Amino acid sequence: MINRRELIQRTGKGFAGLALAGMSQAQTHAMARAKNIIYIFNHGGVSHVDTFDPKPTLTKLNGSTIPPSFAAGLVTARIDFRKALMRGSPWEFPRYGQSGLQFSSLFPHLGKHADKMAVVRSCYGDAFDHAPAMFLSCTGSQFPGRPSIGSWTVYGLGSENKNLPSYVVMSDGAMKSGAGAYGAGYLPATHQGTMFRAGQSPVLNLATPAGITPDAQKETLGLVNDLNRRHYASREDDSTLDARIKAYELAFRMQSEAPGAVDLTSETPATRKLYGLDEPFTADFGRKCLLARRMVERGVRFVQLFFGTNLGDDWDDAHNDLLGSHEKMAKKSDQPIAALLSDLEARGLLDSTLVVWNSEFGRTPLAEGKNGRDHHPYGYSMWMAGAGIHGGRVLGATDEFGLRAVEQPKSIHDVNATILRLMGVDHTKLTWRYQGRDQRLTDVHGENEFTQWLLG
Amino acid sequence: MRLFLCFFVLATLAFADSPTDAVAVLANKCQQCHNAQMQMAGVRLTSTADLLQHRDKVLAAVAYTGKVKMPPTGKLAAAEQSLLSAWLSAGAVWPANAAPQKAASTWWAFQKPVRPAGDSIDFFIDAKLAEKGLKRGAPADKLTLIRRATYDLHGLPPTNAEIQAFLADTANDAYPKLIERLLASPRYGEKWGKHWLDLARYGDTSGFEQDPYLLYAWRYRDYVVKSFNDDKPYDRFIKETIAGDELYPEEPEAQQGTGFYTVGTNRDMLYKQERENRVETLTDFTDTTSGVFLGLTVGCARCHDHKFDPIPQRDYYRLQAVFMPHQKTRIFLHYNNARGYDLNENTRLFRLQELGAQMMALLDPHRKRLRDAVLAKMSPEVNAAFRTPDDEKTPEQKKITDQFQKEVEPSDAQVYAVLSKEEADRLDKIEKRLVAMYKNFGPGPFSPGLTDIGRESPRSFLPAKGGGNGEEIFPGYPTALGGGDIPAPPQEAETSQRRKGLAEWIASPENPLTARVMVNRIWQFHFGRGLVNTPSDFGTRATASHRELLDWLATEFVARKYSLKAMHRLMMTSAAYTQASRPSPKALEMDPENTLLSHYTRRRLEAEEVRDSILAASGALNLKMGGRPVVPTLATEELYGMSQPLNNAWIVTEDAREHDRRTIYMLARRNFRMPLLEAFDMPEGVLSCSRRDSSTTAPQSLSLLNGRFTLAQATRLAGLLEKEADPVAALWQRLFGRAPEPFEAERSNRFLAQQTQHLGNRSAALTELARGVFNLNEFLYVE
Repeated sequence: MINRRELIQRTGKGFAGLALAGMSQAQTHAMARAKNIIYIFNHGGVSHVDTFDPKPTLTKLNGSTIPPSFAAGLVTARIDFRKALMRGSPWEFPRYGQSGLQFSSLFPHLGKHADKMAVVRSCYGDAFDHAPAMFLSCTGSQFPGRPSIGSWTVYGLGSENKNLPSYVVMSDGAMKSGAGAYGAGYLPATHQGTMFRAGQSPVLNLATPAGITPDAQKETLGLVNDLNRRHYASREDDSTLDARIKAYELAFRMQSEAPGAVDLTSETPATRKLYGLDEPFTADFGRKCLLARRMVERGVRFVQLFFGTNLGDDWDDAHNDLLGSHEKMAKKSDQPIAALLSDLEARGLLDSTLVVWNSEFGRTPLAEGKNGRDHHPYGYSMWMAGAGIHGGRVLGATDEFGLRAVEQPKSIHDVNATILRLMGVDHTKLTWRYQGRDQRLTDVHGENEFTQWLLG
Repeated sequence: MRLFLCFFVLATLAFADSPTDAVAVLANKCQQCHNAQMQMAGVRLTSTADLLQHRDKVLAAVAYTGKVKMPPTGKLAAAEQSLLSAWLSAGAVWPANAAPQKAASTWWAFQKPVRPAGDSIDFFIDAKLAEKGLKRGAPADKLTLIRRATYDLHGLPPTNAEIQAFLADTANDAYPKLIERLLASPRYGEKWGKHWLDLARYGDTSGFEQDPYLLYAWRYRDYVVKSFNDDKPYDRFIKETIAGDELYPEEPEAQQGTGFYTVGTNRDMLYKQERENRVETLTDFTDTTSGVFLGLTVGCARCHDHKFDPIPQRDYYRLQAVFMPHQKTRIFLHYNNARGYDLNENTRLFRLQELGAQMMALLDPHRKRLRDAVLAKMSPEVNAAFRTPDDEKTPEQKKITDQFQKEVEPSDAQVYAVLSKEEADRLDKIEKRLVAMYKNFGPGPFSPGLTDIGRESPRSFLPAKGGGNGEEIFPGYPTALGGGDIPAPPQEAETSQRRKGLAEWIASPENPLTARVMVNRIWQFHFGRGLVNTPSDFGTRATASHRELLDWLATEFVARKYSLKAMHRLMMTSAAYTQASRPSPKALEMDPENTLLSHYTRRRLEAEEVRDSILAASGALNLKMGGRPVVPTLATEELYGMSQPLNNAWIVTEDAREHDRRTIYMLARRNFRMPLLEAFDMPEGVLSCSRRDSSTTAPQSLSLLNGRFTLAQATRLAGLLEKEADPVAALWQRLFGRAPEPFEAERSNRFLAQQTQHLGNRSAALTELARGVFNLNEFLYVE
């Protein structure tokens, strides 16, 4: 018997991922709706009451405090819920699409896709600082060290393209969580997210070192291959040696394939325009959304885009400038995300691709200082589209002030259970033995998944 | 069919004395958890009344048909099931001759090891091989042996000179002498200390968004390296780790062991959630202590009785209570110097605040004047925006100030330019004083450690159903291991002495797990897999490939006064260890995972070994030991994604020779691993790691082939080769301690000729040869 670990060692494989024999039972428990995920993670905390959760009461009572009974138990770092003043959203909340789904005027382009989007207005968590909340959202625990949802997914489902990583991550640079939000935790390291960078060499060390000509590189690889094969000839019982020889062949193929995967010159002017690649505001995130589509086309299982950065623009600038930060971030991402949905649909990929839009938490319906909002994990919004989801609908609600999830509250474990289920994986069966326990992404939670509602 | 018959016979035989045998089944399979002390899941099965009360539940559970399946470790054999149900149906009357019930578990690992008959490792290994009709493999040749032994004990390759000396030594005891030489070298502590640091989830920073420095964590790292080099008896090491402050109050070096509890991810980082932080810290301490020292995975019992092991929730909280009164502290390595350091620091800060005030008084008027001059030329709106305090600015004003910030705020250079001669002199004096204050600045004589807040501990409680506190809990040991309470400390005690109790209990030769768990870890690092292959889990789901050998080793370990070096000698001089790594066809078929050790299991170098070996090969390796973590130069793209600005998060060490030191001394950031090390499965350092992955991936090939580090070292190595008449021969000799085979020599020389053509010069070709050789399996694997 070869155990799973040995199997992983012995299989000459690409970046990560391998449909595991032992995992197949996890898949039999649920029908797969989606083959791939594009998970857009909004870094810094998006204000729910200014985006997907309209609260007319806030506008009506603008400038007054909330009833003391509502403030009890609410804590954040910078405001006192008993004293801070309600602040109505400065944005309009038009109704979009045939469904009349209501969300703010920050996302006019997304408005065209309202009928595809299923909005959950009753998310809640218990971490109100960025890093713990990002860990919680992405790994199911506020503390670092656990595998991320992307790692769990590719551990369970493997990849369809051996020449590209199965779990690709793109970020805008520094993340408040560090790499832990896409790490493999105690799962084999091959399952961790691979950071794609800007430029022709998306993966670290993909490019031949400066000064080495392609011929010379090929020559060196040839030497490595010949000597390794000679070495292997007397050790053919050990498949890891063979696997490493294959890993070099793969590395070489990747050197040819990966730059192509990120080379946008083959995209038509219409596509470039759609994603806003020629506009300064949308060019960067547009490029990432377009890359995400290209990854999905090539069979990359899990693409995660972290939008916003600790050392530049992110939604968290809303601490002292709600208006400026949210206008800027929405403007940077609205058209690219809308383009991604259009493009996936046009290419027939939307039904097999789950698009998730989420953030580590919402922001306080009460003002921080004059112009800001603080972090708020007690009730916030996310949405999903694609994967056969029935859009144009809203699940759950926060109270009239947008403070707490009160109807159909959904924890991040419920959300993660739902995401896995849409990928065809039963979250209770996707396990890894660590510290004597069969660990899960959802720990002992996730009982309130809402897959049926999404597909309903 | 045969299987069925077998059961049938068994059932028939067993039925001969059914009540006695049924009680035996009950004792072996049920009562380890459902006894009077543990009552796991609230069920006790120790009397006729108990059994009748739970009869239906028990029958359903052992039938494995419902949700509750018992025993959780595996369904009862059909014979056992029928015995039990027959006896239950008959009224569960205890036979008169039934043995008295014991509270302690009967699980083998929870019994003190009894020394089995046998005189050597090979005795046990050979016996198991023989059972399968297998034989021990041929001995490895001397070149293989010195490379294997040097990597295993030093994490480095042997030098060519060392190889030649060993090959030339034809004495019978050449190999034991080699082992002695290796054990005596300080490189040993660097290699084995790192194994321990994996378990201790060591890092130089705290984790989370700011990932702040744990300024003195490296003192613990150095303590570990030294402890291994000194061959500190493991029982002493345990005591220093868990309760150095309580057991050795006069020995600061010994107290450094408690750093074990301070070098993990800092769990005090959640803002305004002190209770949560405290709970997480206690959980980390409890789980890590029991996993690392006892191979017990108690974590499950934090929320409920353990589902597989006989660890009720109460036992978890008894263990956790040990750490209840803890507080993190700084150990004064030298009392007077430490006090002096603090006093100087205090004075320095006071002076610094004064110098800061002087600087502001000097510079601010000029700054304001320059700013006002610029603003005077700008519109009233811009002026208003800049004059409004930050938290009162309207969004429009915020935009304006963002936009004109650079224009309006004078730079330091602009301010300095307008200073008068006299002012410039004053500033110069201030700067000189600042520099002078730091001219002798260095780390203080502190080491991170643990102690108690005092003699009294906060109270511990079981969590009540539905939240809040349940029953009060007092510190003690797991029931399954014999139980027992930790007594209250004497009146004059300065700490609770709870950790002292735990440390002595774990370090006692009576503890059934401690020695087994440690010898198994040592075994794992010599043989590729543990005798129990879940090195931090010796619970009821663990399986042992050679249980008798494990017990024999555990008793040897105790008899040899817990000396690790004695265990290395014992293991490394065994025939099992010194075998060649070529399996026989029969072994491949019968035992593909080589659990029975019919040959040596080839292993890939660990991440640190990869980097250190390349440095050794290039001649750059700097063997300086200890001290502050080193931050080597990395490319911007390698540092991509760091959560903090690089001038805070990656403060490169000025002296470049430091960059070539062993990997154990490089800065271990919790939020960032050096990409080469990450690719080769270095653990994250967030949770305790008892066994690393050894993966084979394309990114490994990419980083080893194209990484800056490889190229830089290949260039250095090529520089050495250039002076050689036959560089290929010299390279093989240097890296592999042997002459190249004709094929290798011919292929490599042909390569050199071709690359010289491609790249235009021979030294570039030599660099390519070196870069290639770093990627050879012969370089990356230990035979």
